[in-house]
Amino acid sequence: MKNWKIKITTLLAAIGLVSVSTLQAQNKNVVKETYKVSGNCGMCKKTIETAATKKASDAEWSEEKKELKVSYDPGKTNADEILKAVAYSGYDNEKYFAPQAAYSKLPDCCQYERSAKALASNKNAYNKTDKEQSPGSQQEKVALESVYALYFSVKDALVKTDANTASSKSKELMNALSMVKMESLNADQHKVFMKYVSNLKTDAVSIGESKDISKQREHFTTLSQNMYEVMKGIKPSYTVYLDHCPMFNDGKGANWVSKESAIKNPYYGSQMMTCGKISETSK
Amino acid sequence: MKSFRILILFMLCTLNQLVAQKKVRYDLYVRDTLVNFAGKEKHAYAVNGQIPMPELHFTEGDTAEIFIHNELRTETSIHWHGLIIPNEQDGVPYLTTAPIKAKTTHLYKFPIVQSGTYWYHSHTKLQEQSGMYGAFIIHKRNAPPMKEYTLILSDWTNMKPFEVHRRLHMANDWSAIKKAKIQKGAVQSYGDAIAAGSLKTKFTNEWKRMLAMDVSDVYYDKFLSNGKPEIEAPQFKAGDKVRVRIINGSSSTYFWLNYAGGQMEVAASDGMDVVPVPVDRMIIAVAETYDVLLTIPEDSVAYEFLATSEDRIRNTSLWLGRGTKQLASPLKPLKYFDGMKMMNDMMKMNGNLDDMGMNMSLQQMDMNVVMYPEITGEKEEKKDHDHDSRLDNDRYNSNALSDIVTLNYAMLKSPVKTTLPAGPTRVLNFTLSGNMNRYVWSIDNKTVSETDKILIKKGENIRIVLYNNSMMRHPMHLHGHFFRIVNGYGDYSPLKNVLDIMPMETDTIEFAATESGDWFFHCHILYHMMSGMGRIFSYENSPPNPQLPNPEKAIKKLYKDDREFHFMVQNDFASNGNDGEMMYMNTRYNLQAEWRLGYNDMHGYEVETHFGRYIGKMQWLFPYVGIDYRYRKMGIDEVEKNIFGQKNTKDIRQALCFGVQYTLPLLIVADARFDTDGKLRLSLMREDIPLTKRLRLNFMGNSDLEYMAGFKYVLDKNFSLSAHYDSDMGLGGGFTFTY
Ligand SMILES: [Cu+2]
Repeated sequence: MKNWKIKITTLLAAIGLVSVSTLQAQNKNVVKETYKVSGNCGMCKKTIETAATKKASDAEWSEEKKELKVSYDPGKTNADEILKAVAYSGYDNEKYFAPQAAYSKLPDCCQYERSAKALASNKNAYNKTDKEQSPGSQQEKVALESVYALYFSVKDALVKTDANTASSKSKELMNALSMVKMESLNADQHKVFMKYVSNLKTDAVSIGESKDISKQREHFTTLSQNMYEVMKGIKPSYTVYLDHCPMFNDGKGANWVSKESAIKNPYYGSQMMTCGKISETSK
Repeated sequence: MKSFRILILFMLCTLNQLVAQKKVRYDLYVRDTLVNFAGKEKHAYAVNGQIPMPELHFTEGDTAEIFIHNELRTETSIHWHGLIIPNEQDGVPYLTTAPIKAKTTHLYKFPIVQSGTYWYHSHTKLQEQSGMYGAFIIHKRNAPPMKEYTLILSDWTNMKPFEVHRRLHMANDWSAIKKAKIQKGAVQSYGDAIAAGSLKTKFTNEWKRMLAMDVSDVYYDKFLSNGKPEIEAPQFKAGDKVRVRIINGSSSTYFWLNYAGGQMEVAASDGMDVVPVPVDRMIIAVAETYDVLLTIPEDSVAYEFLATSEDRIRNTSLWLGRGTKQLASPLKPLKYFDGMKMMNDMMKMNGNLDDMGMNMSLQQMDMNVVMYPEITGEKEEKKDHDHDSRLDNDRYNSNALSDIVTLNYAMLKSPVKTTLPAGPTRVLNFTLSGNMNRYVWSIDNKTVSETDKILIKKGENIRIVLYNNSMMRHPMHLHGHFFRIVNGYGDYSPLKNVLDIMPMETDTIEFAATESGDWFFHCHILYHMMSGMGRIFSYENSPPNPQLPNPEKAIKKLYKDDREFHFMVQNDFASNGNDGEMMYMNTRYNLQAEWRLGYNDMHGYEVETHFGRYIGKMQWLFPYVGIDYRYRKMGIDEVEKNIFGQKNTKDIRQALCFGVQYTLPLLIVADARFDTDGKLRLSLMREDIPLTKRLRLNFMGNSDLEYMAGFKYVLDKNFSLSAHYDSDMGLGGGFTFTY
């Protein structure tokens, strides 16, 4: 019976015949608290504050102090909820570490240095591209291992149609190319490397500088071709496949190199993920 | 030599006695209670004062003695899920075990002959939804000690389970409206479709007579880990490898599982060990159990073990370790219209599904990947290339599409041989069938009560080939036996007691008939089971069951479940009159009444009552007989004419009518009928076209030249604002009450 009454009241209120004002005593209690939140720059500030105000009534992050001041109504939310939202946007804080995927998604300038604990905690997170990109230079068997790893990271980013990651990985690729230790290459390998390195760098720079996925993919065609030639001369420790997509570039086709036999097309992303075929295998 | 043998025998005897003497007794008190899981105080069932029911622990070889003290005013039952058990202990009321009447105590007593992660729950009506589920853990004898943790997942709704069930049968979309509060676009209205650029997809969907597509039917207010939205297990330290025993004790929710601390190693399923397999994520079907080994990477960090409902509306977490909380990546909302488009491609005009030659099985091809942003990308890119990827067999294979490893049944391998003993093999073919619009769920288009028990013989091997021709996945559970899932590992095929089968999949399971009595085989989604999706296997020449002195009478009680009638009524209280309808229906029959009551004699009063039966698998055809009554004060010399030239001049009309309804594409119901006055009437009608999240359009027109069109704006689960134009009563507005 009580339910009925409530419903009819709501209904009438909605129709506009009667206006019922809720007389609930408003809880004017506002709590102000400060929490440690990692971050880098002005862009971080914006992201952090936007995330926090999804729950909090007010939020201000200080770049110097790396602190977030929040005001909220404890009847509606709590610090846990607010800081969880901040962590989901990519920022570690004193209660929550961001998921690895959220952190990697941040733009370059925002990729703040994570605390040792957060880094360690995330090393097993299932973001495999990140696992591959941390080459321990000591154990490197092949001089170009980190170059190859970064090439695959760029490819994986293109598979995911993720221009930001493609760009940042490409910049790292550029660095890795400059840091290859020539003395560890034998004469034949040296010849191969010298033949392709400048073209590789050109494409790496172009992809790194662009945030336009179609431009990046264009440069990726030549980058892939040259990379494959290098891989044939300086073999990685694993099997690689030269895959071919017949459609790209108005049917001219394009190649890419992959570590798996499964086709994952970097030229079209999810839409044509498994379009293409293996055209060569190098063991 | 002889004395040696005697010695051995003696040792065996004492060992046996030692083992047999270990009785483990539990007393469980079932009581009504009030709980507040989601902002409102609601009725639930608590056992020993808690939800979930207490975690029971045994060791292989124990004898279980469990006293159920039923302190409810209604009867109850407990089923021991996954246990190899004498038939009369299985706990399906009226089939294997006496129901536990109100205010009585029932003793379950059985030997524990296996080990692993199992659970127990009520098998009476919808009690399971209201808290009657608990973990049943059996430890291995002499197993090396290992850190472990039991996690039972469940779903909670503030709506009474009876109401949930009734509304499902009414194709009421209130739960989608609730979901849309959390996830935009969940109603999949025409408005949502336009916003997503998928108008054609929505239109095709309705053309193929489908309602909004969803991966789960019920809106839940909360998901629970051991009865709480979040639960902490701070006792674990860096380097610990914890066996987490996960039980999906929910009534109708599948959960995606992922772990913030890295990969999960799947070590057992449904209680049986498997060769450990590392995965990034996995889905756990309703009623399944999985043991996963999780490693704690660091100290001073608590790692999230995240369980997200398949519809991704909400989640629940377990935190392993103590310290700053390391979040797992949340699952992004489903891309509904990509799913709808996929469904359109798969649905034939006759309501059957078409797998386009993909031979789907063992959860390897998940059609739903088209909706998962983490696998197929956030948004569809523009189609700049015409390539028929339909032929591509990997299009739905999430492991081929991404670098995330998702568990599927093809990856489960038993560590020991599971080949069945030699014996004659019987093959049974089952097609899982369903009708989403009327919420009819069945096997081979027949419910439990519409079929006879399937007779099997002890010593036979039973092979079941299941094909899922319905639009939803079903966790099929067999009582009292383990079956092998024939999955390519041959002699090492895994043993399970729940098989999740996705739409369009064909799976083969087989088991050795080694028991006696009657055993239930059913879909474990509570509302599917209650709608009749199941079969009973009955061993020939079984001894009489002492718990059921009159088995013929008892089974009728079980059959009542899927014969249940559901009631709905709707009335529009408008400024120009009352319009309403009422339905009282079950799987096949429907008693309908429609009325139009004016506020004066000129407008008239009209009531039509029909009784009919739904025909065919899709239930589009509905022949009926009925009685019409109409009173309308006619003006002098006024004559009503229909398009066939038939006339009416009488104030009062009473007639018997015969008619047939048929659901056309776009879900338009065509109705043709004639009555004992010789009158013929044809009409077309469509109700509840979802224009936006809450706005619905209705229209009707008939050969008596009557027509109606109107809008409804849904306020809550019972009330809507309405406005319509009616050829008899003109323009009107008011509100509609729906029960
Ligand atoms: Cu089902």
